[in-house]
Amino acid sequence: MILSYLLRLCCLCLSTFFLVHTAVGLVVAMTSGAAIRAALGMAPRRASRLLLLLRLLPAGLALFVVMGVCVPSYLWLETDASGEAVGAICLVAALLAAVQCVWSLVRGGRAAARTRRHAHSWERESRAAKLSAVAAPVWILETRPPVVALAGLFHSHLVISRPVIQALSAPQLAAALRHEEAHRRSHDNLKRLVVLLSPDLLPGVSAFAALERAWARFSEWAADDEAVEGNPDSSLSLAAALVCVARLGGRHSVPPLTAAFLGNPAELSQRVDRLLSPVAPVAPRRYNPLAIGGYLALTLTAALLLQPASLASAHRILEDLIH
Amino acid sequence: MLSLFKNRAPSPQPLGPLEVAVMELLWTHGESNVREVVDRLDRPLAYTTIMTTLDRLYKKRLLQRQKVDRAFYYAPTLTREEWDHKRAGEFVAGFLATPEPARELLISCLVEAVGQHDEALLDELEKKIRLRRKELARRQRP
Repeated sequence: MILSYLLRLCCLCLSTFFLVHTAVGLVVAMTSGAAIRAALGMAPRRASRLLLLLRLLPAGLALFVVMGVCVPSYLWLETDASGEAVGAICLVAALLAAVQCVWSLVRGGRAAARTRRHAHSWERESRAAKLSAVAAPVWILETRPPVVALAGLFHSHLVISRPVIQALSAPQLAAALRHEEAHRRSHDNLKRLVVLLSPDLLPGVSAFAALERAWARFSEWAADDEAVEGNPDSSLSLAAALVCVARLGGRHSVPPLTAAFLGNPAELSQRVDRLLSPVAPVAPRRYNPLAIGGYLALTLTAALLLQPASLASAHRILEDLIH
Repeated sequence: MLSLFKNRAPSPQPLGPLEVAVMELLWTHGESNVREVVDRLDRPLAYTTIMTTLDRLYKKRLLQRQKVDRAFYYAPTLTREEWDHKRAGEFVAGFLATPEPARELLISCLVEAVGQHDEALLDELEKKIRLRRKELARRQRP
């Protein structure tokens, strides 16, 4: 098929994205079991960061290659502005990438819209009040079923219903709100959206489901740990609050991009067991050598890729791909 | 592709007491011949009875067999968990295929059972928290 200059660039970008994403995605899917096992030995916040990084790696790396190699080399070295034939493999890969991206965009968009609608309805039906446990105002729902959650993506609010406030003791309520506050500090709702927007291995093939479940579990554990800060009394209060909210029936489903206090109800028992033997919090390192190394490696790779010789080689490979 | 192979698995059929006993033995001890099954059974039964039972289970595709030195060795085609899973699935599917009242009855029974299980779990967790709190208070006392 003969395509114009810009359409060729789009086709090339999409097919490159598909190839890199699939290759890295396969590696991530195959190593995810080992990564989850390794994460069990880490502090929950670090483990959740590692798993999130792994989940986003295929899309991130594919985007990096497209924006850092594919586009510059094409714009710099492809001088032929007339139409040129594009091979079937390149077209099929581009088509699959387009389906993949549209699929994840629709999925993320729908989830965001549903969450937004739900947050608006909560906002309308609640009244904002200050509770002593947290600095920010809390939306208190008078008529809703039992709920404790963090609603909203960018400007998130703590939501709690009246029956929960009445059922929990003061230390339990404080612990529950601190847990949700920890989710807000780490932007967990936004991270959920990014995960949804990041494509699966293939449309409809959830090869990263185990990774996503493990990430969600470690995020809950991290929020628990940050809420109790290693204090055994707070830890027991949080455990009791979890059981109390579960008993009230707070296990009904919440919108997809909402951090609910109970998280995954199937993991309630495990969370309570963890809270019964709290570990001392790990002080966050000011300088993370791994992150610094990662940034340096990324900068170095980008600098190397943008060299004329690298771009010329990349262009040759892309020419092979397109034909 | 996996589902294609799964479809070939035997569908659960009601088993008699002797068939269940033989299946239990094979799940516990693995591949066995007729003589070994006869020896391991807790009641004395004729060799030919066990041979017929094993052959019937083979025809129901619950066992596979291979000939070694003129004797057949039988092994289960499904693990015990797979068999239980299939049985439960068929049972529920059978109930759901019946008219509305029976279907609703099954669902309400299941919901009730899950609810009871949840309540028991929450009771247990609460007990653990109470014990831990007592332990903590004892430790904090001078």
